[in-house]
Amino acid sequence: MRFTIFQESLKGGREVNQDRIAYTYSRETLLLVIADGMGGHVGGEIAAQIAVRLFVERFHQEAKPMLRNPLRFMQDTMLRAHAALGAYANQFSMLETPRTTCVAVVVQAGQAYWAHVGDSRFYLLRQGKLIGATKDHSKVQYLVDQGVISSEEAAVHPDRNKIYSCLGGLVEPVVDLSRRTPLKNGDILVLCTDGLWSVYPRSELSTMLTSTPILTVGPRIMREAESRGGPDGDNVSAIVVRWGPETLTDEVSTTTDALKPGEFETEIEDTVTLAERTGTSRDLTEDEIERAIAEIQSTIQKYRK
Amino acid sequence: MPVTNQALPGGYQLLNYRIDRQISRGGFSIVYRAYDETGTPVAIKEYLPASLVLRTEGDIVNASSAENLTSFRYGMKCFFEEGRALAKINHPNVVRVLNFFRANETVYMVMRYERGRTLQQHIQMRQDQMSERFVRQVFMHLLNGLREVHTHKILHLDIKPANIYLHSDGSPVLLDFGAARQTLTTNRPKLAPMYTPGFAAPEQYRDHDRLGPWTDVYGTGASMFACLAAFAPQAADARVQEDHLVSAKKIWSGQYSDNLLEVIDWCLRLDPLERPQSVFALQRAIRDIPPPKRKLTFFGNLKRVLFSEIGA
Repeated sequence: MRFTIFQESLKGGREVNQDRIAYTYSRETLLLVIADGMGGHVGGEIAAQIAVRLFVERFHQEAKPMLRNPLRFMQDTMLRAHAALGAYANQFSMLETPRTTCVAVVVQAGQAYWAHVGDSRFYLLRQGKLIGATKDHSKVQYLVDQGVISSEEAAVHPDRNKIYSCLGGLVEPVVDLSRRTPLKNGDILVLCTDGLWSVYPRSELSTMLTSTPILTVGPRIMREAESRGGPDGDNVSAIVVRWGPETLTDEVSTTTDALKPGEFETEIEDTVTLAERTGTSRDLTEDEIERAIAEIQSTIQKYRK
Repeated sequence: MPVTNQALPGGYQLLNYRIDRQISRGGFSIVYRAYDETGTPVAIKEYLPASLVLRTEGDIVNASSAENLTSFRYGMKCFFEEGRALAKINHPNVVRVLNFFRANETVYMVMRYERGRTLQQHIQMRQDQMSERFVRQVFMHLLNGLREVHTHKILHLDIKPANIYLHSDGSPVLLDFGAARQTLTTNRPKLAPMYTPGFAAPEQYRDHDRLGPWTDVYGTGASMFACLAAFAPQAADARVQEDHLVSAKKIWSGQYSDNLLEVIDWCLRLDPLERPQSVFALQRAIRDIPPPKRKLTFFGNLKRVLFSEIGA
């Protein structure tokens, strides 16, 4: 395999970075994963960390050197992460189960597969055109699908951050799986959290990533996204891969040819800020209150006979 | 200067519910009877900690000072915990949550309205002694509900006759999970964990690490004791200093079965490890020996025969 990869995660205007990103690859298979932990509480960061770590660890167990069934691998890992978060909350008697979104991509034998829960996104771009993408598990996406609001309205809708599926929630997560999609050299794979996509229209992102080497433009996009987010801006995270040999620059792309069977290269971006936190006795935020109520209501519905 | 929170007035329209009247007022909340749009009565619990005076007039709850807001929001977390816990439980012996919403800058939990009276009222109103059959019947059902609660990894932590509701057919409903999980409170004197002297286990006063199913077992034993005695056993914190509690076996020997009295004494052991360790263990202990057949006196027997003869 040959590709160029860029990944970065920035805190934005927040005190804590609750996004976690990682990539890892064997000689034959590449895994990309992003998780965006939810809520202003300590749990969000833990949730994202657990999900990403679990993906990487399971990949190392299963990709020898290829995954037998990439989609099943992703589906299983999502559900295991969901269960792990519940177990974690129990173990530490946490008031709320830590929750996170998650989007993962596997590339092997020239084919891409992806899976997601929540509103962290994946775009597959070919010559500037979108040929594959995830669909957010969000309230506004649902409204767009139903024709109630337009996608322009969705971008500024007050509920645009509300999602109905996540890992660690009260109900089993909805995991969306892609079809197998053959890649061509020059294809661009983008995974990002809402901190990026909410401030960068897809068309703009697509133009920038297609016309300029990703290692050059990647950091610029990230800084720009952070500044667009402003003083209260969300965490911003992205992984960008240009598939095949780099043609736009002299920069050497990554090749996996040198990896022996059973060997992996791994890059986990985890600026752990847990140490800075003091207990869990923080105030509830407005967001947390709204979410707690929504959760209780959905539980009542679920257990109603 | 008013010192208590103002309750919502009768007739007040709270979303699609019309408040009828206040039913009770606790440390963390006010409970109202209300009617939904179909005229069905419901119980609505309003989160409003009594230690923070937040509403002296009107309907909006105002956590004015920053310090208050912190305590207020912290307590709200516990209220959510109660809602979360109860929402998952659908059991005939556990109060059912119907809705949960936010209004007036606070939160509300709507529950099924239970008709009847509390076990506490029942004890106070009774002139004669409570029958073993009745005590067993109430507590076997109650323990089924409590077992369901524990299955969801929730401790009730405030089991007492006032929190046990009796339907007219005698079947009990476990109410008020307000204390559930409040033990997580630390450094929050304003919203300290609450417990009811006499019914709270010794570990609720100090050893919060030692809380477990056996803590609710103590409350259950104390409630059974209260059914027989018509008063609560000596408070556990005082018992730890100097135990004056006379065993049930000693007090009521001959009037109730040894099995029932031994079970009560077992539940009331000060050392958590010496009590039944689970509701199931407690149920098994009660079931082990079936209640003895009532010894009938000559007149009692005669009455029975007569009544059956005349078909009463």
